[in-house]
Amino acid sequence: MNIDFYLDIDTVIHRFDGRTKIILFLVSFLALVLFEDPLFILPIALLILLQNFLARAWMNIWRMRFLLFLLTFTSIIMWNLFASGETHLFWFVDLESLLYSTARTMLILLMIISGLNLLSTTRNEELVLAMIKLGLPYRVGFAISTSLRMVPTISTSIYTISQAQRSRGLDLEGGGILERLRKFIPILIPVFISTIRDTNIFGMALESKGFGAREDRTYYLEMTMDRTDFLVLAFCFLIVGLSLYLEFAGFGDIAGLTKF
Amino acid sequence: MKEVITMWKNTRMVILVALSAAIYAAFLIVFKGGIVIVPGITEVRPANVFPPVFGLLFGPAGAWGSAIGNLIGDMFGGSLGIGSIFGFFGNFFLGFVPYKMWGSVFGLVKKEDMSLNMGDWKKIAAFEIVALTSSAACAIIISWYLDLAGIVPFAFLGITITVNNFAAAVIVGPILIALLYPRVKRWGLFWTDVMDKEDVSKGFATNLGSLLMIIGSLGGLIVGILVATGAAGQELYGFAGASGQTAVWAAVLPFILMILVASFMLSGQEQFVDEEL
Repeated sequence: MNIDFYLDIDTVIHRFDGRTKIILFLVSFLALVLFEDPLFILPIALLILLQNFLARAWMNIWRMRFLLFLLTFTSIIMWNLFASGETHLFWFVDLESLLYSTARTMLILLMIISGLNLLSTTRNEELVLAMIKLGLPYRVGFAISTSLRMVPTISTSIYTISQAQRSRGLDLEGGGILERLRKFIPILIPVFISTIRDTNIFGMALESKGFGAREDRTYYLEMTMDRTDFLVLAFCFLIVGLSLYLEFAGFGDIAGLTKF
Repeated sequence: MKEVITMWKNTRMVILVALSAAIYAAFLIVFKGGIVIVPGITEVRPANVFPPVFGLLFGPAGAWGSAIGNLIGDMFGGSLGIGSIFGFFGNFFLGFVPYKMWGSVFGLVKKEDMSLNMGDWKKIAAFEIVALTSSAACAIIISWYLDLAGIVPFAFLGITITVNNFAAAVIVGPILIALLYPRVKRWGLFWTDVMDKEDVSKGFATNLGSLLMIIGSLGGLIVGILVATGAAGQELYGFAGASGQTAVWAAVLPFILMILVASFMLSGQEQFVDEEL
C-alpha cells in the first residue's frame, strides 16, 4: 500500500529549497482565499498548475482523480444550494451562485493541488528539515518525521488486520453506524497495541544514540537557498502583494451574490 | 499548560507524540473519501475516537499527537488546505481538554483513584463529559476560523464537528480506554508514569477552571449558533445568512479566550497518584 506522494525525479521544482516550497504552498493559500470571482482566481490557478506541470506531478493529480472528482461534483452542487443571486439561470442555479460555486470549487481543488505539488517534490526528511530551518523545534520535527515514516506501515497493518479479521468471519461492511463502530474495535486494538508496545525500546535506542544530548545539531541533509529560490520568493510575494491590493481596492467580488 | 512545553524534553513523550500521530493519521487516511460532509473540509471520521483516548492515556503527548496526526491525515488524504491550519489547533484541544479536566470533573473522579479503570458509571460519565467538552472546544475553534475566513458558516460546521467528534467517542471511547489502559499502565507508558510531577502545571482553582472550560466550549457553541441564527441570519444546521459577519466571531471570541484561560487554570498534577492495577 503506497500512500507516499513523493516523485523521485529531477525537475526545476524538485531543486527548490524546502523552505521555498513551503512558503510557496502557504502563500498560495493566502492568494486563493482573497477572491470570490473565479476570473480573479484564474491567474493564481494557472501558476499553481504551471508549478504542477514543471514538477511533473500531474500523475499524483491523476492518482487522486476520484477524490477530486467527488469534491468537484459535490462542491458545485452544494455551493449553488447555499448561495443565490439576481440572475436566474435554471432550477436552483443563478449566474452569481454558479460563479461563486465555481470559485469555491477552484479554491478547494487548487489548495489540494498545491499540497500535492509540495508533497510530490519534497521528501519527508527535506520537508521536516525545512520546517526546522523555518523555526520549528528539532524534537517537534523529529516527532513529525517519525510519524510520517510510520503512517504507511500502520496503514498496511490496518489493511492486514482487517483482512485477518474478515477471514475469521468479521463482517466490516454490514450493519448500521453503531454496529460498524463496534466492529471497528477488533481492528483498533491490535493496531494500537502493536504500534505502542515497542515505545520503551524505541526510547532506549534513541537515547543510546545520543538523542537530545546536544541542542546544536548538525544534519546529514544540507539545505541552501540559492538565487533561484530568492527570485521565486520575490515573484511569489509580488503576486500576493498585487492580490492584496486588488482585494482592498474592491476587486474580485461578485455583484448581486447572497452567500450562505 | 506548562507540561505542553516541558514534555518535549522527555524522549518517551516525544515518541508517544509520533506514535499517536501516526495511528490517528493512518486511521484518518483509511476513512478519507468515505462520507463527505463538507467537500474539502470534513467527512465522517470514526478515527476521532482517538484524540480523547490518546489525551487521557498520554497526556500532552496525546494532544500533540492528535494535532500532528490530523495534519498528516490532511497531507496524505489529499485535503491539505485552509482548514488544516486551525484543524491543527482544534485537534490539539480535542486531545488536551480530556486529560486536563479528568481530575476536576465535579467529583466524579475521586482524588484517591484517578485511574482510567472504567469500572464504575461515574468514570464513564466523567469520560463522556470531557469528551463532549473537548468535541465542542475543537468545533468552535475550527468553525470560528472558517466562518471568519468566509468558507463555511459557524452554525453549520459547529454542530457538524461537535457531533462528528462526540459520536465517535461516546461509545467506543470508554471501551477503548477499558481495554488499553491496563496495558499502557503495565508498560509504564501512562503519562503520569512518564513525566515528572514538577513538569506539570500546578494550575489554580481547578474546579472553576473545569467549569470555565465547559462554559467556554459548550456555551461558545450554543451562543455562536444563537447569534448566527439570529443576528447573522444563518439557519441552524444549514447555510443561510451571512457568514463572516462580525456578530458571530465577536460573540464566539470571548468563549475561545475562556477556553484558553481555563487551560491555564486546570492542572493535571492531581493525577499523580500511586495506584495498583
